[in-house]
Amino acid sequence: MTEITYPDVISYAVPIFIAAILIELLWINIKGRGGRYETRDAVTSLIMGAGNVASGVALGFIAWGFFMMLWEVTPLDLGTSWWVVALCFVLDDLRYYWVHRFGHRVRWVWASHVNHHSSQHYNLTTALRQTWTYTFTFMMVVRAPLVLLGFHPAMIFFVGGLNLIYQFWIHTEAIGKMPRWFEAILNTPSHHRVHHGRNARYLDCNYAGVFIIWDKMFGTFVPEQTEEKVDYGLVHNLGTFNPLRVAFHEWIGIFRDMTQRGLTWRERLMYAIAPPGWSHDGSRQTSDQIKAHHLANRPQDRETPGFESR
Amino acid sequence: MPLNVLLPVVVIGIIGIAVILHMIGLTAPRRLADKAEALAAWAREFPESPAIDARLSADQRAALIECADGDAGLVWCFGADTVARPLVDFDLLDTETGLDIRLHDVAAPRVSVALTPEERPRWKGFILA
Repeated sequence: MTEITYPDVISYAVPIFIAAILIELLWINIKGRGGRYETRDAVTSLIMGAGNVASGVALGFIAWGFFMMLWEVTPLDLGTSWWVVALCFVLDDLRYYWVHRFGHRVRWVWASHVNHHSSQHYNLTTALRQTWTYTFTFMMVVRAPLVLLGFHPAMIFFVGGLNLIYQFWIHTEAIGKMPRWFEAILNTPSHHRVHHGRNARYLDCNYAGVFIIWDKMFGTFVPEQTEEKVDYGLVHNLGTFNPLRVAFHEWIGIFRDMTQRGLTWRERLMYAIAPPGWSHDGSRQTSDQIKAHHLANRPQDRETPGFESR
Repeated sequence: MPLNVLLPVVVIGIIGIAVILHMIGLTAPRRLADKAEALAAWAREFPESPAIDARLSADQRAALIECADGDAGLVWCFGADTVARPLVDFDLLDTETGLDIRLHDVAAPRVSVALTPEERPRWKGFILA
C-alpha cells in the first residue's frame, strides 16, 4: 500500500510569517497607522506560536493515532484527486467553524483557545498566539466524520494547515476592507477584527476560518461597525506576559472553580462545560449576560448588529 | 522543513523581532495621563461597578480605584495597555519603592506600585479599610 504524504505547510510558512511581521511593522512605522506593536506582547505571542508547533510535535501522535484507527475502520476511500482535496478543505473549514464556536461557548474548550484572544493588540503576531493544549479539549472528535467519509487523515491535516495559514494574514489592522465580493464569501481582516473584540456588541461572533458564509448561515455574523471601534482582548484582560500563565491560566481557573467547597456535582460540571463566565452564585457574567447588561443601559442598541435576537 | 532548519529560523526570528521592537522604542512603559484616564481604564473592564474616584501612583503607572459601593479596585499599566482588578483577594507587602500587591489570580499575579513615603500610608489605609 502506498503511503499518502503531504508537505508540512505550516513549517514552510514560518519564514513568510516572520517576513510579513517585519513588513507590517515597517508599514505601521511609515504610515503612522494600521495597528500597533509592543515588545513584550509580541514576544509572548511569538513564543506561544513556537510552543504551539512544539506541542503539535509532542502530542500530535494522539490525534494521528485516533484518525488512523478510524481510517482502518471506514470502508470509504475518496482517493487523493484535486477535487477531493478541495472538498476536504471546504468541509474541514465547516469543522473549524464548529470547533471554534465550541471554543467560545464551552469553557473546557475556551481554556485552550483563550490565549489566542489574550493580547490587547491586533497584529500579525497575534495570529501566532496559539494554544498549547488543544489536544486536551478532545475536539479532534469533530474531525472524525471526515475520516469516516473517506478523507485520508494526512489530507485532513494538510488542509487544516492551509486553513491556519490563510488565517494568518487576517490578523491585521493595516488592511481596511477587501473588495465587496471577497468580504461576502471569505473571512477578512475586517470580519476577524470583530471576532477579537471585547466590546459587548462583538462578543461571540464571526467564528469562520476561511469562509465567512458559515457565520451567515448559522446566524453568528456581525459586520465591523464604523461607529464602534474594536477593543481587542479579553473581557478581563491578562496581567501577565508569562507564556506558561497565558497557556494554562484558564485550566487552573477551571480546576479551582470545580474544587470549591459546598458545590453540587452539577455545579462542578457546569464550571467545566458551561459558557465562559458562568458561576454558581451569579458573581460573574457570561457573554449573553454582558450583552443583556449593555442593552439595559443602552436600549437604543437593541436589534442592531451584535444585539439581534437569535 | 527539517527541524534543524526550522528551530534556528524560529529562534532567530523571535530574537530579531524583539530587538527591532525594542530599538524603535516600543518597549516604553505606558503612563496614566490623569485621573480621568484611570477611571476610563476601570470602566473599560468593570462597567457594572462604577468608580467615583481614582488615586494615581507617583510614577503614574497604577491607580487605586474607589467604587461607588465602597469597594476598592486597581488599575495598572501593562505593556502599552492597562489591566484592572477588584481588590478582594490579595496580600499586601511593603517594598523599598512602594507596595507589592499579590493578587490571588493566575492571570494577574502581582502588581508592584511605586509610591512616595507620603502616599504609601494613604494607599494602605484605603486598601485595608
